[in-house]
Amino acid sequence: MSRVVVAGSKDVISPVVEKLHELRLLHIVNYNGNQPEFELGKPIGKAKEYSENLIKLRSITRYLEIKNKAPEKTYPESQVLSEMDNLLNNVGADVTATYERITEIEAEIKSKQDQIRSLTPLSVIPLPLEAYHGYDSLATFVGTVVTPVEADVARVSPVNEIFTGTAKNATYVAVFVPVEKASEVSAVLSEHGFSEMSVPKLEGNVDSAIASLSGSIKSLESELMPLQKKLADLKKQHEDLMLATDEYLSMQVSKTEAPLRFAETDNAFVIDGWVPSDQYSRLKSELESAASGKLDVQLIADKEADDLVKGGEDIPTKMDNPSLVKPYELITRLFAIPEYKEFDPSLLIFIFFPIMFGMILGDVGYGIIILLILTLLKKRFRTEGWQQLINIVMIAGVWSVIFGIFYGEIFGPLGLWNYMVGMLTHHQMLELQEAGLFFGEGTYGALGRVGPLGIFPLYRLATNAVLLLIGVSLFIGVIHCSVGSILGIKTELNYGEKKHAYFERLPVMLFQVFFAVALLGLVMGQMIMVYIGAAVIVLSIVMMVMGPEGAMGLAHVPSYVSNLISYLRLLAIGLASVGLAYAANQLSFYVIMPMLSGGATNSADFSIPAIIVGVVILVAVHFINILLGILSPFMHPLRLHYVEMFTKFYSAHGGGVEYSPFGHVRRFLKA
Amino acid sequence: MVVVADAGILYGLLAVGAGLATGLAGIGAGVGEQGIGAAVVGVVAEEPGFLGKGLFLMLLPETLIIFGLAVSLILMFAWTPFSAIVTP
Repeated sequence: MSRVVVAGSKDVISPVVEKLHELRLLHIVNYNGNQPEFELGKPIGKAKEYSENLIKLRSITRYLEIKNKAPEKTYPESQVLSEMDNLLNNVGADVTATYERITEIEAEIKSKQDQIRSLTPLSVIPLPLEAYHGYDSLATFVGTVVTPVEADVARVSPVNEIFTGTAKNATYVAVFVPVEKASEVSAVLSEHGFSEMSVPKLEGNVDSAIASLSGSIKSLESELMPLQKKLADLKKQHEDLMLATDEYLSMQVSKTEAPLRFAETDNAFVIDGWVPSDQYSRLKSELESAASGKLDVQLIADKEADDLVKGGEDIPTKMDNPSLVKPYELITRLFAIPEYKEFDPSLLIFIFFPIMFGMILGDVGYGIIILLILTLLKKRFRTEGWQQLINIVMIAGVWSVIFGIFYGEIFGPLGLWNYMVGMLTHHQMLELQEAGLFFGEGTYGALGRVGPLGIFPLYRLATNAVLLLIGVSLFIGVIHCSVGSILGIKTELNYGEKKHAYFERLPVMLFQVFFAVALLGLVMGQMIMVYIGAAVIVLSIVMMVMGPEGAMGLAHVPSYVSNLISYLRLLAIGLASVGLAYAANQLSFYVIMPMLSGGATNSADFSIPAIIVGVVILVAVHFINILLGILSPFMHPLRLHYVEMFTKFYSAHGGGVEYSPFGHVRRFLKA
Repeated sequence: MVVVADAGILYGLLAVGAGLATGLAGIGAGVGEQGIGAAVVGVVAEEPGFLGKGLFLMLLPETLIIFGLAVSLILMFAWTPFSAIVTP
């Protein structure tokens, strides 16, 4: 990145802004207005008109429930301009009127439904509706009671009229007493658990009132239908054009309001900003030709730029990765944007993340199903974020197919595949498993077993395989953490903090690497490796105490060990998913199918209903396992990156600012 | 060779111990994550950019389960060499 200053005459501010917007190169640093010689810029052109139109358009799109989506066709600016007036005024008025009428009708329907609800219980009281209202000298109480009230009401008010009715286990009463007795009667009623109801001001018999209300609800609903259809039609007809207009207006607003970010004098303007160093000469020549010479673009020397950075300005970071690695920027960005001098970890995520995913899921069948599902989803979800996410999981899916071949798993170990073409009988397999000698069957038929000692395909549920995978997981952890530590050292050196690099980052790496060496020595029975490991571990702890944190650094030591143990999840989550797949296959082939076909042991004797039930259960459990098999192998490597690796180099200096050049990527508008 | 009168009971107790190790560790991690998760959801509702860091905090206690699991694996596979246990 290079720091530039663009200064020019105010005459050419519009063409310059137009050009900057088109180039999309300059990351503008907002002028903060604290220099007395310069004031903040003012909007140019028809800024007010554009933003008013934009607000109008947004309210219309809100009524139509238009959401941003992937563009199906694009519009030239001239078409947008010529149709904007019609869209905002005629179509807009139509939409607003229709929408308002719909809300009105919905409110009316709702109030009528409420009236019906409060009328329904009153049908048990033999009174017309007009009898409840319009008295000067009578107080009315209508509601439900728990116990009979006649006697007590007669006690406080000898003059009374009481009507009762029962429906659905509740007793409804209508009590009429002289007004002057109202408060006493109210007290008596509340002793009987009285709860008041409101009576709508209507006339006639209760049942006929309900019938006429439901009739008018029906007619309102029939009026509603065509209106909603009209709104849907309008949406269909204008959706794309409205999105294009929205884009056009947003672009115009950002252009006309851009000078608010500039510094201005009476006759000139100054723009501060950052530009990628290799694009500087292009920016300079393009801007100068656009302003026909009434402008100057200056590069600020590195030293001066450093001073600006020390004064609190952020150098924007542009993450630049090959297209295959690009999707993984999503994971980096979710955590933090790297600072300008920091290492961008996207490449590392690209290397480690899919391998970890594959190592956990490791199943040819699941991998292929995930790839198929994602190919379909990729066509449906076209926004950038979804595409990146889908690409990440697709690459991971390829790796899980590769690991599936190593593990010999196709829909679970000893699963479909083995059952159909396997060479060992189930009994022979069990005997080998009990003897601890079983690494899985020769899934590949004539190919037999491959690898040292013929361990592939590995049967992950076998004891030996679990022990082997514990070791492999730990060593992946050591490599992963060491890469993090090396980058941590490099980053600290970039910031010129030697003490932090050599006495804070380096000991961590030494500790973890030689911890693993000592463990390996223990397993292999080579005591010399254990001694070397122990010696270096002690050395690294001494270095840590000499470091910037002093003796406090010792507090971190347990976490270095726990960091490594955390990598056991690579094995553990995988075991859980294999276990479920294995259970599904066992349940279906060795329990359900033989049981339902009357104890048959040979697959040829299975009855057709038994096979159908077995297959349904098989598909259901495998389906659940695939869903889990996308989620947890995604989350756990993510955690290994965020917690175990990033903490070693990435989060020390806080998040950076992303390079977001002034300009706009056209989506619905033709260039 | 270790001769054990009832290897079945020993194996059963080991399995119970292994189950408790993972299960209790899981409960512990769950209790830890519950509070963090609620807080993170609150922050993310206010500021969506915090999602990554929130996830980081939320996933911290997960290591606890792995410790429990490591103990279980050691109990089940590494500690007692079952091939060396012989029933009389």
